[in-house]
Amino acid sequence: MKEPLRLRDETASALERALLDVGASYRSPASARAKTLGALGLAGSATLLAGATQAAPISAFAKLTWTKLLATISVVGVAAAVPVGYYAWHRHAAAAHVATAHMPVAPAQAVDPPAPAEEPAGSGPAAPPAPALAAPARVGTGVHLARLDRPAAHPSSVTLAHELSSIDAARAMLARGDAEEALVRLDAYTRGYPQGRLELEAEVLRIDALDQSGRTNLARERAEAFLRRHPRSVLAARVRARLGD
Amino acid sequence: MTSAAVYEVPPADRGLSVSRDPAREREARLRRLVDGHIDFVARVLRNSGTPQAEVDDEVQRTFIVAARRLDDVRIGAEKSFLFRIALNLAAHARRTLARRREVSADQAPEQIERFATPEALTDQKRMRELLDRVLDQMEEPLRATFVLHEFEEMSTSEIAELLGIPRGTVASRLRRARIEFRERVGAIEALGKAERET
Repeated sequence: MKEPLRLRDETASALERALLDVGASYRSPASARAKTLGALGLAGSATLLAGATQAAPISAFAKLTWTKLLATISVVGVAAAVPVGYYAWHRHAAAAHVATAHMPVAPAQAVDPPAPAEEPAGSGPAAPPAPALAAPARVGTGVHLARLDRPAAHPSSVTLAHELSSIDAARAMLARGDAEEALVRLDAYTRGYPQGRLELEAEVLRIDALDQSGRTNLARERAEAFLRRHPRSVLAARVRARLGD
Repeated sequence: MTSAAVYEVPPADRGLSVSRDPAREREARLRRLVDGHIDFVARVLRNSGTPQAEVDDEVQRTFIVAARRLDDVRIGAEKSFLFRIALNLAAHARRTLARRREVSADQAPEQIERFATPEALTDQKRMRELLDRVLDQMEEPLRATFVLHEFEEMSTSEIAELLGIPRGTVASRLRRARIEFRERVGAIEALGKAERET
């Protein structure tokens, strides 16, 4: 049987060609890949973060703005930086007070948000709720300032990029063998993003960190709780493997 | 609350000490699935009638469904598997859209008339809308064959394997789909020409 030519190659109609080109040229944006991997619980790779930030020029803009602020402070000198620093500290202290008053207490057990891999239809993965506060609790002042300067509502891809960096930071600590610091970062992530899309990933890392730090019983308890809550999650297989089922 | 307070002091025993390989392999496979086929899935969804605004969400749903059943998918059959999921989701999205807008296929000729001017033909967005309307009038089996051959550049053998039908059926569907496509595009061109002459 002879293989037919593509219509695109044999048509004389400009309109037909144009329509066929439109149909063939459709591509998924980089942000869609990042969101898809995030929804599957496969977040955390450098490429994923790159994909998210490519689609988030505002994030780059925010970094640029912060860089400029630092440069300005260094030019003006210590005399100027001191009052600026005090002002920033004061703002942070005030905001932290407000945040503490409104923020839910960090739970002793894992937060159990809807599993992205289990409830995709209604959740509208492209539009996560913006966190009220979204920064690690135990990091440098610069992060706090960046947090305060961040607008209340983020584009989805920007929020995802921030979530990814938090998870990546925890993963890096764990890879370095610093399980305690990884746990601190993971707790900060859960506090900062109470409905974060990567909470399942965070919980799996938390289980790893607890195990690595020697709190094996607690790790096992949390792993079993994870499997009870999310038996069909993409990450369940990984947790089961950790448990040795 | 500090981490130390949340996670109590550990017992001495360490390590869950199990192999991570199966889980890691699964994750790697899933990641390859996304990287290798995300454009294909997005194109199939879009060219099968999923509204532009919903394509990203449907892409995610496609891979989420695939992830749940990944262990049942034999190596090498991933594309076919994704295609079927995407096709089902696109059909669902189309039905939802049709209910929402109460669009009927026989409205198309009047609605596409405005696209036929030379200015409009240069407009990608309008071209996309025009293509949607042309494809929307095709029966589903013809449309799927047309999309796979003309947009995905798959051979009739590949399409036959993907759809699980004989190659002769693919060729027959493709012929009919092309005839319908050309008739509709020809009608649009004729309308545009008549409009320009009056």
